[in-house]
Amino acid sequence: MTPSLAALDIATVEVFAQARSGWSGFFTLATLVVTVASAIRLAAAYLIAAVGESVGQRSGVLNLGVDGVMLLGAFGAYYTMLQTGQPWYGLLVGLGVGSVMGLVYAFITVTLHAEQGISGIGIYLFGLGFSDLLFRQLVGTPLPIRGFDGLFDSTVPEGRLDIEYPDLYNHSLVIYLAFLLVPAVTLLVNRTTFGLNIRAVGDTPQAADSLGVSVARTRYGAILIGNTLAGAAGAVLALETTGIFIQNMTNGMGFIAVALVYFGAWRPLGVLAGSLLFSLVTSAVLQWQTLGILSGAAAQLTAMAPAAVTIIALVVVTHRIGAPSALTRPFRRGAEH
Amino acid sequence: MRMSTRRAKSFGLLAALLAIVLLAAACAGDDEEAVTEAPAPAPTPPAETEAPATDEAPETDDAPPPPPPAEPSGPLRVAIVAPSASNDLAFTQSIVDGVAALGETRELEVEVTDGTFIVEDAAVAIREYAESGFDLVIAHGSQYGGSLQEIAQDFPDTSFAWGTSNDTFGLANVFAYTAASDQGGYVLGSMAAALTETGVIGVVGPIEVGDAKLFVDGFVSGAGAQDASVDVNVVYTESFSDVAKAAETAEAHVSQGADVMTGTAQMVVGAVGVAQREGAAWFATQADQTELAPEIVVASQVYEWEVILSEIAAAIDRGVKGGESFTLTLANGGLNIAFNDAYGLSADIRAIGEDTVAGIIDGSINTMGEAAPAPSGPLRVAIVAPSASNDLAFTQSIVDGVAALGETRELEVEVTDGTFIVEDAAVAIREYAESGFDLVIAHGSQYGGSLQEIAQDFPDTSFAWGTSNDTFGLANVFAYTAASDQGGYVLGSMAAALTETGVIGVVGPIEVGDAKLFVDGFVSGAGAQDASVDVNVVYTESFSDVAKAAETAEAHVSQGADVMTGTAQMVVGAVGVAQREGAAWFATQADQTELAPEIVVASQVYEWEVILSEIAAAIDRGVKGGESFTLTLANGGLNIAFNDAYGLSADIRAIGEDTVAGIIDGSINTGS
Amino acid sequence: MIGTVTVDARISDWVVQRVVRRVMGPLVPLTATVAALLVGAAMVWGFGGDPVEGYRAMFTGAFGGISEFADTTVKATPLLLVGVGICIAFRASVINIGGEGQIIAGALLSTVVVLALPDLHRGALLPLALIAGAVGGACMGFIPGVLKAYANVNEILSTIMLNIVAGYMMQYLLLGPMIDKEAVEAGNHIAQTKRLSPNSDLPILLGDTQMNLGIVIGAVVAIGAFFLLWRTSLGYEIRAVGGSKDASRYAGMKVERRIVQALTLSGMMSGLGGAVLVFSSVAHRLSVESGPAGFTQLAGFNGIVAALFGGLHPLWTIPAAILFGGLLVGANALQRAVQVATPLVVALSGLVVVFVVSSDRAVRWARHLGERFDIGASPEHDRTGSAASGGADAPTTPSGEGAEP
Repeated sequence: MTPSLAALDIATVEVFAQARSGWSGFFTLATLVVTVASAIRLAAAYLIAAVGESVGQRSGVLNLGVDGVMLLGAFGAYYTMLQTGQPWYGLLVGLGVGSVMGLVYAFITVTLHAEQGISGIGIYLFGLGFSDLLFRQLVGTPLPIRGFDGLFDSTVPEGRLDIEYPDLYNHSLVIYLAFLLVPAVTLLVNRTTFGLNIRAVGDTPQAADSLGVSVARTRYGAILIGNTLAGAAGAVLALETTGIFIQNMTNGMGFIAVALVYFGAWRPLGVLAGSLLFSLVTSAVLQWQTLGILSGAAAQLTAMAPAAVTIIALVVVTHRIGAPSALTRPFRRGAEH
Repeated sequence: MRMSTRRAKSFGLLAALLAIVLLAAACAGDDEEAVTEAPAPAPTPPAETEAPATDEAPETDDAPPPPPPAEPSGPLRVAIVAPSASNDLAFTQSIVDGVAALGETRELEVEVTDGTFIVEDAAVAIREYAESGFDLVIAHGSQYGGSLQEIAQDFPDTSFAWGTSNDTFGLANVFAYTAASDQGGYVLGSMAAALTETGVIGVVGPIEVGDAKLFVDGFVSGAGAQDASVDVNVVYTESFSDVAKAAETAEAHVSQGADVMTGTAQMVVGAVGVAQREGAAWFATQADQTELAPEIVVASQVYEWEVILSEIAAAIDRGVKGGESFTLTLANGGLNIAFNDAYGLSADIRAIGEDTVAGIIDGSINTMGEAAPAPSGPLRVAIVAPSASNDLAFTQSIVDGVAALGETRELEVEVTDGTFIVEDAAVAIREYAESGFDLVIAHGSQYGGSLQEIAQDFPDTSFAWGTSNDTFGLANVFAYTAASDQGGYVLGSMAAALTETGVIGVVGPIEVGDAKLFVDGFVSGAGAQDASVDVNVVYTESFSDVAKAAETAEAHVSQGADVMTGTAQMVVGAVGVAQREGAAWFATQADQTELAPEIVVASQVYEWEVILSEIAAAIDRGVKGGESFTLTLANGGLNIAFNDAYGLSADIRAIGEDTVAGIIDGSINTGS
Repeated sequence: MIGTVTVDARISDWVVQRVVRRVMGPLVPLTATVAALLVGAAMVWGFGGDPVEGYRAMFTGAFGGISEFADTTVKATPLLLVGVGICIAFRASVINIGGEGQIIAGALLSTVVVLALPDLHRGALLPLALIAGAVGGACMGFIPGVLKAYANVNEILSTIMLNIVAGYMMQYLLLGPMIDKEAVEAGNHIAQTKRLSPNSDLPILLGDTQMNLGIVIGAVVAIGAFFLLWRTSLGYEIRAVGGSKDASRYAGMKVERRIVQALTLSGMMSGLGGAVLVFSSVAHRLSVESGPAGFTQLAGFNGIVAALFGGLHPLWTIPAAILFGGLLVGANALQRAVQVATPLVVALSGLVVVFVVSSDRAVRWARHLGERFDIGASPEHDRTGSAASGGADAPTTPSGEGAEP
């Protein structure tokens, strides 16, 4: 037997060995814990991208190209990691790629006043194609990242937390950073001048402009934050979640992230709730299939559960917070709206 | 989504205008002058051809300036088109070095297009060079022959040279060149047999074809003549580029006791590195590889193409543009055994080598037969496939299969990959049939419905589709499929023996077709081996969702799985997780060892060339379809590739091998 | 459709007027397209391809002859139908990104009808099936409409999520209840229906080509949508709601109902597109073996691009869809002819979209920053130009600080 197999936690295995039948197998603390842990990992990429997008939208700019930027960021990070073996460099390049795309998108939508929906789709198509093209030209077959395990190891102080279920907090550092974005961005938007400006140009650009706030500059900043985080989300997907890159590996995650911004009503905390809900349903369905609760037709039907539950949740929990009033509207000084 | 009406109109108008202009341009095609305003980015020459089906229209002679007459006084303008990198220390480098050597004796102007492994790209390059007035265009790769034959006829004033081959197509402006690499191989083989102490020699070949086959056969024959008791283990890695596999092959040779090795083609650098680490002696060919590993390279067979290049240049000076065939041999000095003086080779063995060279030159030693006769014409094969051709899964398996077939016979291959949109695939299939391909492969069961309709419109074209066993009763459709349940059963039985936790995880895409077959076989094999093992099957309901595949693997691990398998292209995500978690992985469709060498135990590999060669043979017989083929373990189309780097216990490997044998002899039934 | 005969003259008059008035206008986006293709050429060249050869293949592949143009119209048909639906929705300030799901719903329902009534006469079956497609799409549009109007669920969220739901529903149905059972028994487990009744095939219009009735259906629907939007009171109210919800409400309009109607109509067009996709498909069957996008061809997204290229005007969407369809067809031809990697082509279409959408302003921006330009002469059309302002689903509440959901 190989040493790698022995590395598995035998104690964990025994827990499951005795409780592996159907629903009773799912409703054990251990299984619930791994389900939540799985949801936390899945949520990270959605969270990063959606929190970023929420900042952009608060300033009045919709970006449907998140998925494309994620793909470019994912490839940039993956390729850097392959070349240098340094995961932090990879993450940095992912951020950098996102920033560059942010500048491009800001130039298109703010300076050139281009239609936001359509240029976002353009950015998406460009990212989808260009990331795959670079991948084919520079890498070819999907090479795995060496030493994919423990790229961003974090050491949680032992003894401080409930050691019985280490899965819950035993995540890599980038996952923690992803969740730290929620308070960080909340503070940024609600407690800083820049955040105040973002909200002002998103709701009443005319008024902001007359008060001397540069609508263009503020929107540039917000878009830059949004796209940089989209690039980071891609980097996390490539470096942390999968350890590899293939074409269209986001599989529409960027669009789901945009949807989650609406779910979260443009608030990072709401986006967090949406990301966790979507991911939790996904991971629960996977666990049910693993436990044999679901198979065949039932499995095919429940695959749609994360999307359906997200809609239903929003219907049940009605909220009254509206969109930034100037969302998708280019700002021209003197124009009437 | 605000949009001012002014721009709205201009967009609409733009669209209308463009459409009208383009349509006008389209209709203008044959009888009018080219479009008056010519907005198209690629202005077509006025007297373009009228047939829209043949896009590769031959240029009429008015556009390119006539090539300047070849004057012996001026510099000879030489262009090289070669398949691999010009610094590959192998095939391509040999011709580049040869031209450089020729440049020392006369004035040359040289341009190189290297790395053009895509034949159509090379064809474009060859045509470009001819158009821009080069005196000699060298197509350095036997795969370029088909294109060259067509292009050369359009440029009677340009000389072409191609190799390695001895076929000038009967054209007066084509030279052919080849190397009798079996001669050097024989010399090196005789020395290797004298040098080995363990009595085992390892050979790392690419694909058993052409120059490589010639060299290896000569080497084996030379070693046998020197010492019949020496074992020569020949392994073809089936790839010209897979450096990792070459390295693995060298490791395997060493583990079998080889202390002397050789190898050919550009991927061999990987093997040289291993040989150096292991301290095995190395014999090189194609180029002097001493600099790669000065400590272990004993001698190299070096191709001195300048010998024949100078003959070709002299012929051009005389006004002879082609029609002659040249061969590098030891006798004409085109092949040269370069000894590495830094390697302390004993004088005895060096003497053996030099005597053998002399014997071959004076004819007292006969190395081998001739090269295989050139086939009548290339078979034109088109592939339409749903995912990327490098997906390490379904699509890659057929592209590799056709490539392998291309090593045994001349093919002209075009690939349209990534066509997951079924209607786009239908258009591509129809286009290929219209442009006269001999065999159009629709590699995806989703294409069957379209193929059934299209095939009826093209009774003279052969179609192949898979995976399916349904030819629709049409006489021009082959069907092919893989009994992937067989390999699944084998892998499942091994997985059940391997697991310690008693839990195995399966990551499937959608419960359909090939994936379902494999998974069902796997589950059934695991159950037969050990009924107490839990096999958790999860279909992610997506062929492309890598993140979900990864998370599914996490879910399996959290349920205690220590052994996993999976199928389809999204599975790479799961492999990564398995590697991180230290779970063992069984692969299918393609050899996924390189994805995660530490954890891949074995892969079920589809060798489509087995049935492709049957289909090609049928086409040669004039049979266009109506037959159905299945890859099985018995016919060698399915192959269990063990990863030697994974320390699989002999017991479990024996289980796998016994299961294979049982399935082949019929004593095991994979059905559930 | 409404009074087609009497208005022919008016349409042509309308077209001529604008063509004459705006001769110079298109030059800017045309330049932008060329610029995008030049950037693309640099990419082709950078990755070792021959741009001239590639573009020639692209052009001839899309517009090089009757058969090629026929392929382009086939590709353009779903873009046109979805695009027309997008025009209606976006005019009502409703951002419908659910084209994918609506296409699927239409395709599924129409396929069910044909599977249930295979022997029905052609003259009855095909119209019935197309209507079923429209109904299926309409249902799929109705849901986000109701959610938006009465439950305050943003339509971008619900339509993106419903796309996912529809995709999995399609997989479930085609793997289970609707699968070709004979093929399964013969050992071919493929996620598709059997070959649908020939009575449901869309007739081919031009001899040896693939051009079928679908493009005519698309054009008729586009004209119908034009009349709906600009010649009926429903259309007027839809556009009014899109302009300003509050003003419309003051004017006594039923804002919620109009939103639901706009999304339902929009879904109906996409659903019809889905039905056309099934009945004009080469295989004459519905398959999800390549995944949902393998069937929809991503027309739900590309249709948005076509509609916006067409200025959210149903009639201008016709040439826009043909142009964009030509780009897609030509791109595939480019890969076949030059064996350039497919993703290059995807990246290229993205570039074209970005360049064209930026071009108009880019020129103005370069010329006079901030100067106002005259707005077109026809006041009625221009009023509606305000189009969709995404997600303005609540009265403009200034977002309060710390107001978390």
